[in-house]
Amino acid sequence: MSAVGTSVHVSRELREICGAKNIVDDPALLHTKTISGVTPAVAVTPASPEEVAAVLRLANERGLSVVPAGGFTRQQAGNVPGGIDVLLDTSALRGVEHYDAADLTIGLGAGWSVAQLSDKVAQDGLLFAGDAALPHRATVGGLLATGLAGPLRHGYGGLRDYCIGIRFVTGDGRKGKGGGRVVKNVAGFDLMKLLIGSWGTLAVITGASFKLFPAPRQTKTFVARFADAAEAIGFRDHVLRSPLSPISLELVSPSALESNDTAWCVYLRAAGSDAVLARYRSELGAAISTEIEGGQESAVWRRVADFACDAPVQSTVISLSLPLTELLPALNQIASMCESVGMTFAAIGRIGVGHLAVSLSPRVGSAPDFATALSTFRDQLSRDTSMSVLSGGHADLWRSPTHSESMGAVKHALDPKGILNPGRFRF
Amino acid sequence: MSLPAVIADLRKIAGPDAVLDSPEDLMLYEYDAGVRKSTPGAVVFPQNAQQVSQIMHVAVASHIPIVARGAGTGLSGGAISRQGGIVVAFSRMNRVLEVDVENQRAVVQPGVVNLQLSELVSHLGLYFAPDPSSQKACTIGGNVAENSGGPHTLMHGVTVNHVTGVEVVLPSGEIVQFGGKAAESFGYDLTGFFVGSEGTVGITTAITVKLTRKPEKVATLLGVFESVDDAARTVASITAAGITPAALEMLDGWTLRTIEAFCHAGYPLDAGAVLLIELEGLREAVEEQAIAVNEVCLGQKAREVRRAKTAEESALLWKGRKLAFAALGRVTPSYYTQDGVVPRSKIPGVLRHIDEVSKKYDLVIGNVFHAGDGNLHPLILFDMRDAEQFERVLHASSDILKYCIDVGGSITGEHGVGIEKRDMMPLLFTEEDLDIMISLRNAFNGDEVLNPDKMLPMPRMCREIGGPSRNAVLAREGM
Repeated sequence: MSAVGTSVHVSRELREICGAKNIVDDPALLHTKTISGVTPAVAVTPASPEEVAAVLRLANERGLSVVPAGGFTRQQAGNVPGGIDVLLDTSALRGVEHYDAADLTIGLGAGWSVAQLSDKVAQDGLLFAGDAALPHRATVGGLLATGLAGPLRHGYGGLRDYCIGIRFVTGDGRKGKGGGRVVKNVAGFDLMKLLIGSWGTLAVITGASFKLFPAPRQTKTFVARFADAAEAIGFRDHVLRSPLSPISLELVSPSALESNDTAWCVYLRAAGSDAVLARYRSELGAAISTEIEGGQESAVWRRVADFACDAPVQSTVISLSLPLTELLPALNQIASMCESVGMTFAAIGRIGVGHLAVSLSPRVGSAPDFATALSTFRDQLSRDTSMSVLSGGHADLWRSPTHSESMGAVKHALDPKGILNPGRFRF
Repeated sequence: MSLPAVIADLRKIAGPDAVLDSPEDLMLYEYDAGVRKSTPGAVVFPQNAQQVSQIMHVAVASHIPIVARGAGTGLSGGAISRQGGIVVAFSRMNRVLEVDVENQRAVVQPGVVNLQLSELVSHLGLYFAPDPSSQKACTIGGNVAENSGGPHTLMHGVTVNHVTGVEVVLPSGEIVQFGGKAAESFGYDLTGFFVGSEGTVGITTAITVKLTRKPEKVATLLGVFESVDDAARTVASITAAGITPAALEMLDGWTLRTIEAFCHAGYPLDAGAVLLIELEGLREAVEEQAIAVNEVCLGQKAREVRRAKTAEESALLWKGRKLAFAALGRVTPSYYTQDGVVPRSKIPGVLRHIDEVSKKYDLVIGNVFHAGDGNLHPLILFDMRDAEQFERVLHASSDILKYCIDVGGSITGEHGVGIEKRDMMPLLFTEEDLDIMISLRNAFNGDEVLNPDKMLPMPRMCREIGGPSRNAVLAREGM
């Protein structure tokens, strides 16, 4: 996109915007900021939304590609970038814009790690429901940009349900916001929805406000084990038809958590008093083989949330979002695809909501053609099912039910020169 | 193309009996539940998405403004056409296309009435969660346009939290799909962006909504307080105690007496304020929360806390709340409903401010609102025939909304910006914020044939905030 010769001038101008100490352009020092092996020409760490806007105005004017980055936990998604002119590190955007525990809301800069946010509000007995993978590295901005929340999605809704305000800078350097800091607000376009899951291709998120929840006083996890996926999905249907309202309901395929486990498991996490938990026990009945609580429970859920980021290097991770009835057919298709091309798979998913993360690995001694197999698989999916590839450089295998040209129109409105995260997904 | 020629085209598209253009018919479409009026040039009743697309083509080709209309219950002027424009009314697109129990979804046409969907799926143990007070009349298409709420949005969220897909006719005439039955779809969330875009991006012709399982247990409590202040403090205390009610509504003394005279809901006539609190969920959890709510109320000087013993008693308490606006019809020729939002901890302060505003402008203001999420509905009484009084109403209303913004709130929680609050948008958003929103609207609706004059201020208004120019501008536009 840009000529190498411009980089000296660009570095100088970026220094003027953000200060010399916040610019790295020495190739020897940029190795920690590579994405899928591609080293950026320059990395910049703006300290304010105004600096982000100035950086983006400059990049837009020069037609430089910009890759926003937080904790680098999801940067392997989409295509390998052809080149990165400017890596925009959001980790210095760390202001607290508002926090009143009594209002159950918080607004803060995109550079906060998810763990720091969760720990901060936990001191006041509150819960931030965005239980991201690798929370000590994952940032608030990255969590929103990827839209990938964790197992608490079942009980507390997704980011689109509890992100109540967003601050950002568009590809052409305009500083904007949507929503605000109150829990109910319909003034103006809902730009939270537009930016959540946009993978940094529309704007750089600089800050956000969230609805918080009272933290449960106690939780317990019930584990049910089954011989096959169909039985596990049948158990899910039983739970969904019951009056129970667990905070997490997760499918764990054989070997997804324990390498030698052969059972399909459903992990159900409940919150409430002793009386409430006793009710869960009686409703779930004989299907439950294990109950987990305390530190062991937290550790299990940490591993469930981290699953998609923990996959072996040689594997490809896909993420599916689908109607509840499509889960079992999709799992069967995955199994038969793996059988025919020499792959193995492990899956973990929010089966009460309709999310599935699947890690596909080559069987020992086999070298399957992931792209061809996944392309065939994708074409068999139902109209309502969408798919993204979280690692392995297969952005073209991405699929959405949403009208493509309309997405293009939105992209053009906010990033007319296409400088933001080119090739990350469709745009 | 002249209007008569356009009307002839509309008849060809939708059928000879599907277009209204006589003055006496058009009068019925010149207003909604807000306070603005403007007479359309034609009203057309399409029966399918292809017809909507053809109608859109005609409007765009002839540069005649076009606006979608459901039941006209909106409170911000969202369904009001520009003078001489085309109203696309959805009363003939009112079918539930699909109920998919296994996936907890329904696909509906925009003219389906909100409550009718819940009634249709009730025997399956399901319902549609957004419950605006007008739910007996308002349509789901209108709910989508305005991102409507209701009392139970405290627990369940507003319309956008219950819509997973929309079929949309764009101003280009294209019929496109955003999202589908899955809870979330990859790619830009244009479903979420479309909901609440107030008819400025496209016209929806089919909506995929979530159906919610009915709770096992519901408890309805009425907290009776001597003063508005005590009730307001209780709201913050309930939230701070870690209790999330399904609904938490407040009615001040003047309003509850007006309602009681109208429908005998069982509110105590001598109370300063009441809180209507609903808890729902697992039986055991509801019983525990009911005890906790009782304690919090009594700790904040509640005179008493009553609990509905039967479903009928509960329905009666809700009937009063839902008929609050109707009850006002007995005591005032007109009323103006505001929709400001404040952080929950600021409710006592904002209610004191509303009381001061009432005195300052010499107006009666009642309060019946969604206290749990800080969403106010001050009801300002007036007589439309008294122009000077109406001017005071507008100033009082603007005063209240400015206070909401000053304490970190918003100008609308569920009614939308529409015509009536668009000149207040610059108080909430910077010029650059609004410029971004305008560029997004223009990506779909560049020449503003579709629902002009709504939500986003005209660029020059960004600098002319709240001044007397407002009415002059509206008059110029024929509103």
